[in-house]
Amino acid sequence: MFRLFSDIWKKFKEYIVLIILVVISLIILASNKKPSAKKFSSLFFGTFSNFSSVISDALDITKYKIANTTLQKENAELMLEVNRLRQYGIENAELKDLIGLKDSVHYPLFPATVIAKSLLKPQGTFTLNVGKDNGVKPGMPVINEFGLIGIVYASSDNFSIVRTLKNIDLSLTVKDERSRADGIMKWNGSNLVIINVPKTYDVEPGDRIITSELSSIVAMPIPIGIVTGLTKVETGIFNEVTIAPFVNFVRADHVFVIKVIENKEKNNLQLNFFNRK
Amino acid sequence: MRSQYVWPVILFFPVLLFQTTILPLIAIRGIIPDLIIILLVYYSIMLGQMTGTILGFIYGFFFDVITGSLMGTSILSLTITGFVAGYFSNENKRDIYFKNYIFVLIVALCAIINSLLNSFFVSVDLNTNMMSLLLNLGILPALYTSLISTIVIVFYPKRNFD
Repeated sequence: MFRLFSDIWKKFKEYIVLIILVVISLIILASNKKPSAKKFSSLFFGTFSNFSSVISDALDITKYKIANTTLQKENAELMLEVNRLRQYGIENAELKDLIGLKDSVHYPLFPATVIAKSLLKPQGTFTLNVGKDNGVKPGMPVINEFGLIGIVYASSDNFSIVRTLKNIDLSLTVKDERSRADGIMKWNGSNLVIINVPKTYDVEPGDRIITSELSSIVAMPIPIGIVTGLTKVETGIFNEVTIAPFVNFVRADHVFVIKVIENKEKNNLQLNFFNRK
Repeated sequence: MRSQYVWPVILFFPVLLFQTTILPLIAIRGIIPDLIIILLVYYSIMLGQMTGTILGFIYGFFFDVITGSLMGTSILSLTITGFVAGYFSNENKRDIYFKNYIFVLIVALCAIINSLLNSFFVSVDLNTNMMSLLLNLGILPALYTSLISTIVIVFYPKRNFD
């Protein structure tokens, strides 16, 4: 019997090892959503990010880092302000007689530097040099002066991992700024698309897409991109809207974490898929 | 003797560091070469198919936990890639592979397999144009990776003194 197993092992050891490892991989893949997996990951990336930050700092040739950060913060605040004003313009046109809208929203921005990027086509992630010690928590939006970059996925004490918009696991509720049509946006591996948009919705190439207040993750208007085209126009009852993002993910180095997580009361009223266990 | 199995694991970390910090600077339309694949193919050919498969598993594990990718996707794709690369491990032909452009072709093949497996598990979407997916996720990154892998041929010692 032992001899038989020994013979099989000798003949097929490469295949046996492959099968065992593939099965282990599939088990790991299946237990992905467990909180322990996230904790384990944050332990590893926290340690590794210490080295990444050293290289990232050495690469940072801008000597006027502080001035840059201040200016970029100002830019990001202005971007949000402009976007808010655009919103008000549209809302004002639609609701002429309505007054007393809430207009005292302030977004607390926290500057951060991207110290590592994983630009795998289906799963873009950034590592930031801010973490729990700076008050950064999973679920917080990350922006730069052009628009939304992604959402904080996991945090260690000093570092955080951000899932960028170009990550298959991130879906957001967005809307057309002009027509106010809402939809779910996701990354399909090649493009940012709003899926299952009814053909009756008024969406045109050139329209600006922003995050929707219906979103349980980012419920503030942050620019995302511009509609570049509609697909599946001839067939079916839904269109797919392709979006060109405002942010250049390869060049994004200095970013801001918006220290806002949707309030608990609202979260309790609706189903927040990000917090769902 | 054992150091030949330890070095590939140790080398993984500086290569990943380089991959995530410096390589994004040479990205072309968001596509960057995958140095991990080059390293894995090199060691799979050098150390054999079984070592290549196990090494792929270890690389994938560290890659997933460090970059925050969906746990298991890189483990699976790199394990299979290491297995495929190991097919080309042959003591008699090893030098031939590393000294000419066959190595580039092996890297290209493995990079395509890795990208497609990786994207299959995270982005299988039958509504997406499969040809565009194949081009964007498989062929273009593989071409860039194989182009960079010519460095191995250039720096591989021309003569063996052992």
